[in-house]
Amino acid sequence: MTASADPITTEVVRNFVISCAEDMNASLWRSAHSAIIYEGKDSAVALMDEHGNMLGQSTGVPLFIGAIDACVHHVKEYYGDDIAEGDVFIMNDSYMQGTHLHDVTAIGPIFHEGDLVGFGAARAHWNDIGAIDPGSTMGSTNIYQEGLRLGPTRIIKQGVPIREWYDHLRLNTRLPDATIGDLGAQIAAIRTGERRLSQLLERIGTDTYRAACHNIFEQARRMDREAIAAIEDGTWSREGYLDNDGVGEEPVKVALSLTIKGEELLVDLTGTSGPVAGSVNCGAKQTESLLRLAYKTMINPDRAITGGSFETMSVKIPDECMFNAREPAACEWYFTGLGLLADLFISCMSEAMPERSTAAHYGDSMVAAFFSVDPKRGQWIAIEPTAGGWGGRADGDGESALINLVNGGFRNIPAEVMETKFPVRLEEFALRIDSGGAGRHRGGCGVIRRYKLLEDCFSALWFERSRTPAWGLNGGGDGAKPFIEITLPDGSTENILKMRARGFETGTVVETMTGGGGGNGDAQARPFDKVLADVRQGYVSAKAAWNTYGVKIGSDMLVDEAASKPRN
Amino acid sequence: MSKHYRVSADIGGTFTDIVFQDSRTGTCGATKVLSTPDNPALAVLNGLQAAIPADIEIDFFVHGTTVGLNALLTRNGAKVALLTTKNFRDIYTIQGNDRGEIFSIRWDKPEPLAGLEHTYVATERIAATGEIVEPLDTGDLDALVEAVKREGYEAIAICFLFAFKNPAHELEAAAYLQERLPDIAIALSHKVSPEWREFERTSTTVMNSYLAPVVRKYLDTLIGELKDRLPAGRGLHVMQSNGGVMTAVSASETPLQTLLSGPVGGAIGGKALSAETGRPNLICVDMGGTSFDASLIIDGLPSASNEAKLEGLPVQMSVVDIHVIGAGGGSIAWQEAGAMRVGPQSAGSNPGPICYGLGGTQPTVSDANLVLGRLDGANFSGGQMTLDREATTKALAEMGKAFDMDAHAMAQGIVDIINAKMADAIRTITIQRGIDPRDFSLVAFGGAGPAQAVALAQELRIGEVIVPVHPGAFSAWGMLQTDVRHDFKETLYSFWDLMDVETLDAAYAGLADTGRAHLLEEGVSADAISFERAVDFRYYGQEYVLTIPIPDGPIDMDAVRKSFDVAYERQYGHCSPENRVEMANIRLATLGRLPRPDNAPPAAEEARPARERDVYFDGAATKTAILDRNSIKAGDSIEGPAIIEEGTATTLLPPGWRAAAIDGGHLVLTRTEASV
Repeated sequence: MTASADPITTEVVRNFVISCAEDMNASLWRSAHSAIIYEGKDSAVALMDEHGNMLGQSTGVPLFIGAIDACVHHVKEYYGDDIAEGDVFIMNDSYMQGTHLHDVTAIGPIFHEGDLVGFGAARAHWNDIGAIDPGSTMGSTNIYQEGLRLGPTRIIKQGVPIREWYDHLRLNTRLPDATIGDLGAQIAAIRTGERRLSQLLERIGTDTYRAACHNIFEQARRMDREAIAAIEDGTWSREGYLDNDGVGEEPVKVALSLTIKGEELLVDLTGTSGPVAGSVNCGAKQTESLLRLAYKTMINPDRAITGGSFETMSVKIPDECMFNAREPAACEWYFTGLGLLADLFISCMSEAMPERSTAAHYGDSMVAAFFSVDPKRGQWIAIEPTAGGWGGRADGDGESALINLVNGGFRNIPAEVMETKFPVRLEEFALRIDSGGAGRHRGGCGVIRRYKLLEDCFSALWFERSRTPAWGLNGGGDGAKPFIEITLPDGSTENILKMRARGFETGTVVETMTGGGGGNGDAQARPFDKVLADVRQGYVSAKAAWNTYGVKIGSDMLVDEAASKPRN
Repeated sequence: MSKHYRVSADIGGTFTDIVFQDSRTGTCGATKVLSTPDNPALAVLNGLQAAIPADIEIDFFVHGTTVGLNALLTRNGAKVALLTTKNFRDIYTIQGNDRGEIFSIRWDKPEPLAGLEHTYVATERIAATGEIVEPLDTGDLDALVEAVKREGYEAIAICFLFAFKNPAHELEAAAYLQERLPDIAIALSHKVSPEWREFERTSTTVMNSYLAPVVRKYLDTLIGELKDRLPAGRGLHVMQSNGGVMTAVSASETPLQTLLSGPVGGAIGGKALSAETGRPNLICVDMGGTSFDASLIIDGLPSASNEAKLEGLPVQMSVVDIHVIGAGGGSIAWQEAGAMRVGPQSAGSNPGPICYGLGGTQPTVSDANLVLGRLDGANFSGGQMTLDREATTKALAEMGKAFDMDAHAMAQGIVDIINAKMADAIRTITIQRGIDPRDFSLVAFGGAGPAQAVALAQELRIGEVIVPVHPGAFSAWGMLQTDVRHDFKETLYSFWDLMDVETLDAAYAGLADTGRAHLLEEGVSADAISFERAVDFRYYGQEYVLTIPIPDGPIDMDAVRKSFDVAYERQYGHCSPENRVEMANIRLATLGRLPRPDNAPPAAEEARPARERDVYFDGAATKTAILDRNSIKAGDSIEGPAIIEEGTATTLLPPGWRAAAIDGGHLVLTRTEASV
């Protein structure tokens, strides 16, 4: 490299790649047609160099951190030199890019004065990709039931849309207009990146830009290396089980070992279950992406993610593994296993970095859905992920009633909105007492949401982590498992965690409870005043205060220190 | 004939800016005094005494206050008990489920203003239709009555589910409690914020209870202290977050509306400037020592929202949008892993930049500007301060060693980086919303704004910069340019095609009656009252709404529907006229026009003679004229490079730019060369 970039230019370019990615994502959100993109923010964009190295990215869903670069590599491999200015490619194959077929990535090369200078990419969740069921299918056992599958596919050639491909897409979805509209938004995002990069290059020139990018990669690498090198070498292992694969009853094993050696961090998933019949398989690229998210929570968490990040980590996934999905494995609920995988990673790192130790969280999206068709509303659906408890930390309690790690900005539906729009009454929304794992630093509590059906309608449920609830660390207790009870109008009850769409009569009550987070440290070391506050605020019952914390709280709501066990 | 003044005061953390306007001629003047945080009235009195002779009558006084906001920031509000519906005790603590930092596993929700140990429940339930599902059991309230006596609560906030649909239970509970607790202040959610979403409404109601006693006490003191200088009662006004003003008496009743009272003055000044200069689209930037505030005027009106977040807690109220980032004269340059960064940490005013000589050791943006010759080290802050150029240059040279750069290159670098960051903040509120900043003029004010404005404009390819009169006191100036305003709302959910115009008319009429009574009580004359109707819309299946104005006169349902498609198209680049539309809330702004003169340019003052010194542009020292703003007359045109100094700010005019004074005394900077 002959040109160089001074630190000022480098910092300006570093701010540029972050802000350019934010502009691209804003452009995607602004012009998307589907609420899941512009409100749910189920999307991610990236600006990359001409080799496909990620420079700047912006994501609405934390799980999408850094997996888009794989798509550029696939496009380059497939099309070789046949990539021209104005081209746009799309792909969604679960085995190539890692997620479910709903996530479609659009990729466009960026040229400046005839030279390929980079790539822009935008991934977004398409509501309907032609699967066996509308929306998300729950019982798929192979990828062919999950919709249209695309390898790298050119849909715009030198600025001209390829008509037959647009028609092909329209013919393979239940929502052709919204789908093409969302694709248009993704292309708009790429064009935004193209425009902003061109403006920068006009000002500083391609050579200086490349030199600045080189510096950015180096700086991020150096920061990561320094952080890993500061941790003592060692190897740590953990394992846990998913309740089932979504169609069978057998638990599914997830195992992870983590080694830190000098400036390198190695993750090995050997020991994890092979491919499963249900749809909790996940492509290797997305597995890696999840590990990057878990890594980011522990290493330089307050720094922007730019090119060069994560290069200190290498990942080994066996060929025959649910996290290395291959044809014809079903992948629709690919993220369910990832929540557990993240907890395993964070627990291993907690041993390596005791000062940042964080116990496991409640672990999955915990989806409850109610839907039907009626004359007034037409087709309606009330669907929401449910919050739960997070793990206790080395220096503080876990947060309660917070959305899971792989999600980010999802909010609950307010009772006043739900009841106004849908024939469902929310009878209770509360913290689930005693659900947080006991500890010196208590795990956060899960929640209770009790729905009463005011008209006949359907319900579907996807709750997880009853076999391996959020575990405690350093002697802390486990969080409570999730629990659901359905009470039919005749008074009979049923307990179930996963349920494909089923019809229910008016008056049925569905009560969902999410798990709590794991505790951190010995519960007998939790100070009296903290236990007292927990009881006064309703996180812990007086009974549990005595049974698990050894703290006697009288009817006057004060600690009876003489009758309590001494603090460790 | 005795003189009458209209006066405004922007009471900030460090300085209190005062602007006074001759009620007859419209001429304005400004002064700046040190704030007196323990008793803000003192600074106002000092300012009035210094600037306004005793024989002049003040017939209108408006001020922006940060008292409410500070009470929130320092958690110094009232001790509040919250009363909610049984089975929903935890909604205010649970909040929205979402994680404020999506890559963090250590993020905690904002601390509620009334925690679970201060939350009480009552058996009662109202359905979405307003029907009573379960009657209120007033027996449950006795526990709260006991608790108030025992715990010493200063206020009670009541928020029951669907109270905005049927307030019966909130009213019944309040009556029961007030009878037993005659001295306690009780706030009811259906009065504070008659809008759906229980968490947000609870948060709004608690925030109101939390701030009310503090704001009330402050206003009582201020009224008392200023009673000799101000007309009794109705002359004292407070700036509101929604861009209007209200009387101090109203402010005591709705303290929430004073929360963003200070910064909003700049946006309202922008609105007035837009009308005065005939420029419909403005980007207003206010740069001080620690923060950079940006707001937009679009088609002559400030961009506004119907919800704000303060300290992470939502408040359902109309607010002018102000986007704030941590960038200012005090932003610190630092290094990590061989990289150079600037901000967001600030040296503040103590120790402040190195050049202040008050113990600061880390180079800041102000230090960089001094080394580049853009600040006058010998005559800073109107001569009140001398800056240490030698120490500053040395520190920058020291920092530059690591990068093999000299002090001037480092200084230019710091300024370049902070400009890029501020430009990004403007991109966030323009380009990311589909607005092209090139269609706008940039209005720069605040102490540090006019020095960076042209660089910002260049970064964003904006062709025109306006430095208004009194740029250092522009927010206070803005406060003189507005009317009395109160916002009313009601959740009225329906498919638009199922709503009949009679129901809608009746709902607006109900809000208008309330609003009119309010304004009359505040002393606004009946013929000065007007209304602005709006409705929150969305396509069926969406969550976010767009607020669509409804023109005066009979409501044309189809036309309103179409205007939503148009607004949607503008915001998102496409629309779906074939989709069903839902309405969520109706809104009515009640406006009381205040009598005020047209603005006139400031009275001419004696100008300091022009000087010359070396200023660095693009790495080269360039002989540059230093002009006093008072020397620039309407019609004058100045070619860059030049520096234009005045008491509260310094305007930097680089080569390739020209400055001209226009009507009203504002400076307009335009580029003379073709865009690069």
